[in-house]
Amino acid sequence: MPRFRAVYGAGPLHLLAVAACLAVVAYALWTELTLIGRPERWLIWFGGGIVAHDFLLLPLYSLLGLIAAAALAPAARRTRVGVAALNHFRFPALLAGLLLLVWYPLIAGPAGRTFMRATGLTKDVYLDRWLLLTAALFGLSALVFVCRLPRLRRRERRMRSAL
Amino acid sequence: MQSRLSLNPFRPQFWRSPLRGPWLASILSAALLPLLAVCAVTGFVSHWAYDPDLGNNAVFGGPGPGNGFDLYGLDWPTSPAWLYAATQGLHVITGVAAIPILLAKLWTVVPKLFEAPPVRSVAHGLERLSLVFLVGGTLFVMSTGVINIQLWYPFGFGFVSGHYYGAIVMVAALLLHLGLKLPVLRDALRRDGISGRLREDLAHTLPEPDLPGRHTSAPSAAAAPTLTRRALLGGVAVASTGLGAMVAGQVVGGPFADLALLAPRGRGRGAGPNDFPVNKTFASVGISRDQTGDDWRLLLHHGDRFVGRMSRDELLALPQTTAELPIACVEGWSTTQSWTGVRLSELARLIGVEPGGEMEARSMQPAGGFRRATLNPGQVADPHSLLALSVNGAPLSLDHGYPARIIAPAVPGVHCTKWVGKLVFS
Repeated sequence: MPRFRAVYGAGPLHLLAVAACLAVVAYALWTELTLIGRPERWLIWFGGGIVAHDFLLLPLYSLLGLIAAAALAPAARRTRVGVAALNHFRFPALLAGLLLLVWYPLIAGPAGRTFMRATGLTKDVYLDRWLLLTAALFGLSALVFVCRLPRLRRRERRMRSAL
Repeated sequence: MQSRLSLNPFRPQFWRSPLRGPWLASILSAALLPLLAVCAVTGFVSHWAYDPDLGNNAVFGGPGPGNGFDLYGLDWPTSPAWLYAATQGLHVITGVAAIPILLAKLWTVVPKLFEAPPVRSVAHGLERLSLVFLVGGTLFVMSTGVINIQLWYPFGFGFVSGHYYGAIVMVAALLLHLGLKLPVLRDALRRDGISGRLREDLAHTLPEPDLPGRHTSAPSAAAAPTLTRRALLGGVAVASTGLGAMVAGQVVGGPFADLALLAPRGRGRGAGPNDFPVNKTFASVGISRDQTGDDWRLLLHHGDRFVGRMSRDELLALPQTTAELPIACVEGWSTTQSWTGVRLSELARLIGVEPGGEMEARSMQPAGGFRRATLNPGQVADPHSLLALSVNGAPLSLDHGYPARIIAPAVPGVHCTKWVGKLVFS
């Protein structure tokens, strides 16, 4: 048994579980890919999700986050007020971005005709609604920030005088 | 500190957030798991609700082998009438609410994507391979599902089988992941508890220590914190609840539909008896107005044998039954209305069909999916299963299936055939 562990890197139960998982995955992939006319499309969507998230979406919002941090709360002269301002910007920005990500087909997607044929409605209201929601999120966040500002400033002064 | 910055994601110094670590990953997983479990179960339940073993109901693969794990053997029940509205509503609500948690979880563990060395052993390599299927499968089912409920079909493959087999890939990989990572979750939560970390203020938001003997996403060169874990998790909770509520508005309907600001069914259509959502307009299906005029006749068949035809007036002269029933769409929205028409069991009795058989309803639609659907014996026999002629006291509108449509308790929306031309009892 120690020999198995040394060669494989884990116990035999691990191998059994992995094999069972991969067998089911292989079954599902095989069934789907032989069932549909253009299997490459399925694979593109499957792999594309990983690429789009791990190598586009996540780096993109991380970079935007770094830029926001450099602008609002630079590490060299970081203040409590700066950090709060950063967070009161980050939260509505992330929420608005999430809404756009999830409801992109309605907000900006090109599927107006299929939507119309299915529901009998036009989908021209959704861009306006998203913009209004985004404005409301930023507005609300700014309002809370302004209300917190006097307390943040007081605490900042107290900390500075304590130093 | 500055000199240790790295622009190479394969170096541990690249990952600077002090928040990442096994505790945060575990908390997010503990929130994500129940949502994914409910979403997966209700998804497979929906496959069952379509009774793919009957008639031409199978959307893919045909009845019997080749149609996935079709081991149910049981007919989908008719009671409670809101059953499908509830299961499918839960499917879409939990799926959409899971998205922010999934994104946060992936953010937390992303350093492990770049861990070095990439493969430490055969076991580690296989585990990483299974993560391709876990992350890929989860992103695949979420993205295809979310796009599909917005009536956009850019896939280039059939949504139903694609989503179904994608879900099987996800569930298989998730079960393995759960088995392998449950000890990490236990260790992390046992070490830190839950409420302690949630009470930390910014000054006390320190990087997590590593778990002994495990490779984790905790940073080795953390920057100073700008956010508490409490605030991060609070933001995720707000996002998840908000998105879930938007979709829930479409399920519950009534005034709550107004919550669905960005969801496709959150829009009032007026106060008239026929002013509720449709998923297939009359204009889109290629039926001419003449076909729905006074010359329309319902054709009744018993198996292959033609047994009679009835006009709309003749149907209206039969005993009428009224039932409050939801139309529950696979896309997760539903709407309950008051339908009036002739019981399917009454029509069967009229043409001398023994009770206990199935019935296929065929639409006058010349082409397209779901233009016929077979109801199981329980659905045909249910006293609330109707060939509806009116809704809310007014004749059906063309968009809602005039001259006649099927409505039956707990039946998925697309099986409530509109513009019925023929009923085939067996």
